[in-house]
Amino acid sequence: MSQRKSYAVGTGLFIVLGFAALAYLATQTSSVANRQQGDSYTVDAQFQNIGQLKERAPVKIAGVRVGQVQSIALEPGKAVADVKLSIDKRYDTIPTDSVATVFTSGLLGDQYVGIEYGHAKKYVANGGKLALTRSSEPLEEMLGKFFGAGGTADAIGGTYKVFARFSNVGTLSAGSPVKMAGVPIGQVVSVQAEPDKLDALVTLAIDNRYNQIPDDSAAAVFTSGLIGSQYVAIQPGGSSDMLKNGDEMILTQSAMQLEDLIGKFLVNGSGSGDGKQGAGASTSPAGKH
Amino acid sequence: MNAAAPSDDTLIRIRGLTTVLSGKKVFDALDMDIPRGKVTAIMGPSGTGKTTLLKHITGQMRGDAGQVQVDGKNVPELGREALYALREKIGYLFQNSALLTDFDVFENVAFPLRQHTRLPEVLIRNIVLTKLQAVGLRGAAQLAPSELSGGMARRVALARAIVFDPMLILYDEPFVGLDPIALNQVLKLIRTLNETLGITSVLVAHELDAIKQVADHIFLIANGKVVAQGDPKTIAGDGSPWTRQFFGGEADGPVPFQYPAGDYAEALGFPRSGA
Amino acid sequence: MNARIERDNIVTQALGQIGACGLFLLQILAAIPRSLRYVRETVRQLWFVGAMSLTIIMVCGLFVGMVLALQLYHVLSIFGGTAATGTVVAISIYRELGPVITALLFAGRAGTAITAEIGLMRATDQIAAMELMAVDPLAYVAAPRFLAGLIALPLLCCVFSALGIFGGHLVGVTWLGIDNGTFWSNMTATVDVWKDIISGVVWKSLAFGAVVALIAVFQGYTAPPTSEGVAYATTRTVVASSIAILALDFVLTAFLM
Repeated sequence: MSQRKSYAVGTGLFIVLGFAALAYLATQTSSVANRQQGDSYTVDAQFQNIGQLKERAPVKIAGVRVGQVQSIALEPGKAVADVKLSIDKRYDTIPTDSVATVFTSGLLGDQYVGIEYGHAKKYVANGGKLALTRSSEPLEEMLGKFFGAGGTADAIGGTYKVFARFSNVGTLSAGSPVKMAGVPIGQVVSVQAEPDKLDALVTLAIDNRYNQIPDDSAAAVFTSGLIGSQYVAIQPGGSSDMLKNGDEMILTQSAMQLEDLIGKFLVNGSGSGDGKQGAGASTSPAGKH
Repeated sequence: MNAAAPSDDTLIRIRGLTTVLSGKKVFDALDMDIPRGKVTAIMGPSGTGKTTLLKHITGQMRGDAGQVQVDGKNVPELGREALYALREKIGYLFQNSALLTDFDVFENVAFPLRQHTRLPEVLIRNIVLTKLQAVGLRGAAQLAPSELSGGMARRVALARAIVFDPMLILYDEPFVGLDPIALNQVLKLIRTLNETLGITSVLVAHELDAIKQVADHIFLIANGKVVAQGDPKTIAGDGSPWTRQFFGGEADGPVPFQYPAGDYAEALGFPRSGA
Repeated sequence: MNARIERDNIVTQALGQIGACGLFLLQILAAIPRSLRYVRETVRQLWFVGAMSLTIIMVCGLFVGMVLALQLYHVLSIFGGTAATGTVVAISIYRELGPVITALLFAGRAGTAITAEIGLMRATDQIAAMELMAVDPLAYVAAPRFLAGLIALPLLCCVFSALGIFGGHLVGVTWLGIDNGTFWSNMTATVDVWKDIISGVVWKSLAFGAVVALIAVFQGYTAPPTSEGVAYATTRTVVASSIAILALDFVLTAFLM
């Protein structure tokens, strides 16, 4: 009999251990951990664009979690997202002129609603509304120039060569595409170091069909996609003279350090756009922002 | 409890039992009456389906035709509940004892009690120790089945088979592989159980000498039929070729030495001798 | 039962096995109400297949979490995303690795034991002896083991996952130096109780538990009563369970997520 009892006790322990593990997983490692749901009140906010915001996304003030997104619906008849925020009762002193913004936490992270306090003496009540909102700042737009279709020009009509000097070419290499307005128009033939001038000489082969490029156009080294390869983008200038075979492009912009530029996004969502400008982008003589 | 059962002397009545297993007729309209309260032995050449017959009696197998009445109930027609109720009244001794290896000797004997009753532990203990005492193994109660010799295991299995005081015990080859001492112990037990408890016993066995000591009635089956029956003294002398071969131990006779086969010469690749 | 082993081709055999297994499942399900009186036996089996598997499950969970964190750290560091290590460790364990690896280990540790035990019980007439003692072996032998597998696997998977997270934390935070707060806050921000933990750790492993236990009991129950037959059935338990787990995983993933 004692043998039978020990099975029962051991099995009981096993079951308790299993459920304890489940409880641990469910409460400590999941969003439940963030949802110490006390009493809360609901506030409306309308956004033009909520980006990737989802229900149960956090609502933060000064980075502190104060609640979560309760529901997201499209305002009937208008292209406006109606977002209900459920905010903890403890934080019931949000001024009515506070600004609600959809932010992104981390580069790859989810989006959340950040509230910046205003100065009004009145506070938002249950069922009230935050009139001032700022829509999702699409990371894509900010990084838009980094993204772009890959592919190279087909060079059907033969090519002509132009040169460009960069102080930093990043990971640009022979074969990288050359694009104008996002369309491939040629490719990099060679990348050579110029020891005497301390910069890199890049030879571009551009399709003959695209021979109407002003000679004051700028060449910039961009990155296609977040982790993609780099390419040369040509931004047309206003000169009436066109680039010819053997010309050198004077205006160039070197590879930007992607890491620096988006660094501010990685710091938990201060994506308000007032960070260091073009941080670390070492710009050659006439680099433009 | 047995009110519905006919109070005649026949406990098991088999009528016209026909069973075909993988194309071979194991039983061919077999008729058999096993008397109540007696020790009955079923003998026959190997492969004549003696164990199969026991399985028909317990309802583990069902024939293709015919009746197997045990205590007035036709076994092939019983549903699960009725069949299990019947089985509670039948003890079965397996050739290899079939003790549950998970449990010790005590728990093995107690197993049917625990499954079918809610008796208090003290009572279970007393019943089990009584039965173990009856087979002479009370001292081995705490041993594991793997620690028992073949003869001891069979006696434990016997104690388990009688723990419910059944009306019928079926012994499948109870003497195989036992040394003379163990054989005599089992023999004595079968006799004692039959005499003291009035339990009907059916044995399937080959050991002629042992059976002559214990059995009241012998059936000899071959080719799916009963070919001879009678008490041990008279059956050997009934003069049929079957009994002469079986009890005389002759190598050839109605039971052929050769398993049915094609032409021998042909199988060896010789030209047919007659051609 | 196996009297007619014909030399069919593999497809016919496999289909036959699946069909027989399905019918066997119905038999077990029908026997479950009757097995309720053998609760003790279920508890005992839960001890053997569940509690006794804890060690291997815990050790493996720990190492899976550790190696996952190590690999992910190196890949994510390419994009400067090491902060997501905890999240990805948690999500991959909850959704895939936890249920699948636990089920595979369970098939190897407990499934084979069930098959061999039932196969030998059959070979030594213990199953027949139970039938003759008016104890339904489906209710006494098959159903408790099936239930034990069904209950044990989700519990083991929870333990596996918890140890996996712990292992990931050990490597990610203690060794590689990811910030402790970042590790947890990113995880808690992303992991969803229903979509990740319940649907992965609980539903998936319930399904796997049913499949592994069914296959193990079925193979043992239908094993030819010879030493070769039992050995072969044990092998088949592992092979069939592994295939079934991974195939079912695909189907469940397609439906659940």
